[in-house]
Amino acid sequence: MAVETGRPAQPAASGGPTARGRGRGADVRKPARARRVLSTHWYAWAMIAPVVLVLGVIIGFPLLRGVYLSLTNADERNVGRTIGARTLEPTYEFVGLDNYVEVLTGDVFWGRLAWTVVWTVACVSLTFLIGLALANMLNRAVRGRTLYRIALILPWGIPAFVSVFAWRLLFAGDGMFNAVLTGGGIEGVDWLEHPTWAKLAVITVNIWIGVPFMLVATLGALQSVPGELYEAAEMDGAGPWQRFRNITVPGIRSVSATVILLSTIWTFNMFPVIFLLTGGGPYGSSEILVTEAFNLAFVRSPRDFATSATWGVLILLLLVAFAVLYRRSLRKQGEVW
Amino acid sequence: MRRAIGTTALVAALALAATACGGGGGEEGGDAASGELSGTVTFWDTSNDAEKATFQRIAEDFENKHPGVDVEYVNIGFDNAQNKFKDAANAGEAPEVMRTEVAWVSDFASLQIIEPLDDLADDAGDHVPQAWGSTQYDGRTYALPQVIDTLALFYNKRILDEAGVEAPSSIAELKDSAAAIEKTGATPFYLRGDDAYWFLPYLYGEGGDLVDAQAREVTVDDPAGAAAFATVEDLLDSGVATTDINDGYANQQKAFNNGEAAMIVDGPWAIAGTLAGAEFKDDPDNLGVAPVPAGSEDQGAPQGGWNLSVYAGTAPENMDAAKEFARYMSSAEVQQRTTEELSLLPTRTSVYEEPSVQENQMVRFFKPAVDKAVQRAWIPEAAGFFDPLKEQLARVVKDAATPEEAAESTGEAYRELLPDWK
Amino acid sequence: MTKMPDHAVQQPSTRTRDEALEKVPATPARAVPVTPPARPGRRVRRRGERAPLASVGLHLGLALATAVAVLPPLWLLVTSFKPKHEAFTLDPVKDFTLDNYTHVLGATEFVTWFGNSVFVVVLTVVLGVFISSTTGYALSRFRFPGMRPLLWTLLVTQMFPMAVLIVPLYNLMARMGLLNQPVGLVITYLTIAVPFCAWMMKGFFDTIPISIDESGRVDGLTPFGTFWRLIMPLAKPGLAVTGFYSFVTAWAEVAYASAFMTGEDKLTLARGLQTFVNQYTQDWGSMTAAAVLIAVPAALVFGFAQRYLISGMTAGAVKS
Repeated sequence: MAVETGRPAQPAASGGPTARGRGRGADVRKPARARRVLSTHWYAWAMIAPVVLVLGVIIGFPLLRGVYLSLTNADERNVGRTIGARTLEPTYEFVGLDNYVEVLTGDVFWGRLAWTVVWTVACVSLTFLIGLALANMLNRAVRGRTLYRIALILPWGIPAFVSVFAWRLLFAGDGMFNAVLTGGGIEGVDWLEHPTWAKLAVITVNIWIGVPFMLVATLGALQSVPGELYEAAEMDGAGPWQRFRNITVPGIRSVSATVILLSTIWTFNMFPVIFLLTGGGPYGSSEILVTEAFNLAFVRSPRDFATSATWGVLILLLLVAFAVLYRRSLRKQGEVW
Repeated sequence: MRRAIGTTALVAALALAATACGGGGGEEGGDAASGELSGTVTFWDTSNDAEKATFQRIAEDFENKHPGVDVEYVNIGFDNAQNKFKDAANAGEAPEVMRTEVAWVSDFASLQIIEPLDDLADDAGDHVPQAWGSTQYDGRTYALPQVIDTLALFYNKRILDEAGVEAPSSIAELKDSAAAIEKTGATPFYLRGDDAYWFLPYLYGEGGDLVDAQAREVTVDDPAGAAAFATVEDLLDSGVATTDINDGYANQQKAFNNGEAAMIVDGPWAIAGTLAGAEFKDDPDNLGVAPVPAGSEDQGAPQGGWNLSVYAGTAPENMDAAKEFARYMSSAEVQQRTTEELSLLPTRTSVYEEPSVQENQMVRFFKPAVDKAVQRAWIPEAAGFFDPLKEQLARVVKDAATPEEAAESTGEAYRELLPDWK
Repeated sequence: MTKMPDHAVQQPSTRTRDEALEKVPATPARAVPVTPPARPGRRVRRRGERAPLASVGLHLGLALATAVAVLPPLWLLVTSFKPKHEAFTLDPVKDFTLDNYTHVLGATEFVTWFGNSVFVVVLTVVLGVFISSTTGYALSRFRFPGMRPLLWTLLVTQMFPMAVLIVPLYNLMARMGLLNQPVGLVITYLTIAVPFCAWMMKGFFDTIPISIDESGRVDGLTPFGTFWRLIMPLAKPGLAVTGFYSFVTAWAEVAYASAFMTGEDKLTLARGLQTFVNQYTQDWGSMTAAAVLIAVPAALVFGFAQRYLISGMTAGAVKS
């Protein structure tokens, strides 16, 4: 992860040797060395200070507070708040792991998790496959390629919340899709009212939003695969599938690994599509973990901050576990990632 | 006394003036104070598209009475208004005066985000008791009533005449007349499958209720609850009614306004909008209103309505103006105006005496309905009642749960909200 | 490090900015400037073998995908020119009207929301990019104690779901009086922008030859001087990418905006748009007009920036 860049790090202004910069614990013990470390690194530290501050104050502290809240019974009635001139002190209590026990033993969490996994796998795999297929098509001399390309990445350029409303217009009971269906003599579908259709609808919209990123990423990767490899393979009598399998796939592997990881994390956390398209409905069937956590704290009454924080922490743990496993499996396959 | 009142003495003076004029409303109290009041009053209104222009005019007329006060009218719509106010209150940015749905008062009061208004409660006796009941929390007054409402059956007279049927007084009659109505090409009834409030008439009709606050008991999963869900299921399965589980309110209005649906259930707030619809704009008399159909046991609709509450974080310099504004919006004068212009129902018995109100057809119909309307449990936890109920209703509508399962799940959710109830 | 990411990294910094967008994909040699020169010619030959039938198939596939990609925004655009009550008719604009636009611009708070969004986005971008670039530079050029934990933290925070921060941030903002304040939203968006931007900027600085730093040192510049006078001007494409990334993120964010902003005049576009179509109001006319007004600037900015964006993102991530 963090990383040998393969290039010697810069000597400090004082010309001190690089290795010292690694700051081994032993160095710090002696005051003279500590001073030297400080004088060697003060500007680096000064340069990262603002970001460290941001990370600490508005990410680190809230994160710790979130973890703490998940161990309390905080809700809208007992958190500290200021109403005009009056300040109400927090009165919530520490309850240990009660929230986790309650969440993990109830069936809501597991139901939502199952659907979130299905949603993520379906979206990421289909988005990737469609993106790759389109990239392959675009990676040829096709007349009008520029136009195709612009049109195909258009969905990326439109804010997701706008696109979702555009799709709602199409999915509406008297919207375009149903009008076309009824025009064709088929009975219209209650797209957003039936769990299966609603799930298909949110997946469709998310794929629509996600394909351009995959397309552009894999297109870049495809273009970096040396052409002579294909030619040599062709001369050896390799068919299209074999060429794809043995040249294209290894050639784009590294980029694919990255975009799949990114896309997985984004999809897992994809809030606007579900929140704005179905609102988690019908009856919660399309609710993923993040929208549920949001609803717990901000939509449903009473606002249950503690349980929402518990969900948040669980989601984070799941994602970190996924990223670690994913990296490990890639490493096993020899990917330097 | 008029010019002599200092701001600090204002509240006492208002109380005095109001007492002096008895049940006639706070009108004179306001006059006594004119010229003295100053400050800014932001008013968040939740009235719908058809009503909001009128409410804006009424709110801004307050400035004429009290030139020192600056009224900022903001219509925030009904959608999510409860959460919007909570968020704004937490942000210290809430409006001085909020139009608060009757069921929100106890929620807001328990969060301590609205101000007790005991000093404005002097003419409590003029309000109908159910309306006044919704302003009370923990023995104190937290809001002033503005309008009262309930649900009723709206019907398209033309279609019913064509079908040769009367407006049904019970679910059974509704089903009996369905075939005749279908022959006219219209759907007999639009049933809102996406809103828990609209479910209550079916529940009351079976003799049930969500909870029994007196006995501290959850009652939604009593047999009446399952029976109510079964009624809904039956109306849909038999084709008597159509429904949606999203955007039901808009769809219902659309279907009724253009004659696709012969009957709907709605409240007085919808009258203005309905009369603007295609079926009614040239012929207002085409709109018929009747009590919601009775169930197998009983007949009843929930009591709704709107109150006015004052944000607890209102700056001291605006507090007097805010309270006076709330009083004004709840006054007999304003209630009479909202009745005359929008056919909304007043909460003051004195306003019902006014000839213009008595002659209002909608009031004539709705008043008896309101008198019989079922009071809900005005407890803070009630704010959490509708989400689980709505979810289960949608399940029943979509055949994803049996009526029994739906009632049971709703009961479970309620017991989580009310841990020590039966 | 595999070869491809290196190319991707170099792409933005080596390409001149004035190249037309269309040219990039059209010529593989350009899209990947460092490819062996032999390649384009051979590719063309290979492609030349495509049968006419395959060509038709290719065009059919692409045309279908294009139709799917374009339909929703196109329909939005078409609907926005229809009278309100015809929003759901299938005819393409029978009675062309600009009423929806005049209504949205004149009779709603749309302009205010637009201003709020611009304010929030600009501040997020400027603050986020500036503080990220110093950090990116330090991470790219120096070895210092705390570097590895910082890199690790930046990577991990990128996958923070908003769900884990939103409640504590809400409570925090409430206590500090920053709820319903655009500034509060800026602070919140920095939690999204900074980790990603710092990460991407490190990737960009990695592509700038160290010899430039060295020449600066020879000229007697301090590390800060080197950074500010020599490196920053060269990193402009990188700044653009991070800037655009922050823009796209902040312009389109929904969850925080929905939870933190309430006052009608304080909403950002993402929240404001929701007020047109909800359970009680179905004003599709205004919604579509507003959506078009939001999407057009976003799409323009995006069209200009997208090729940098993608390379920056893959670079940043792969570089880990």
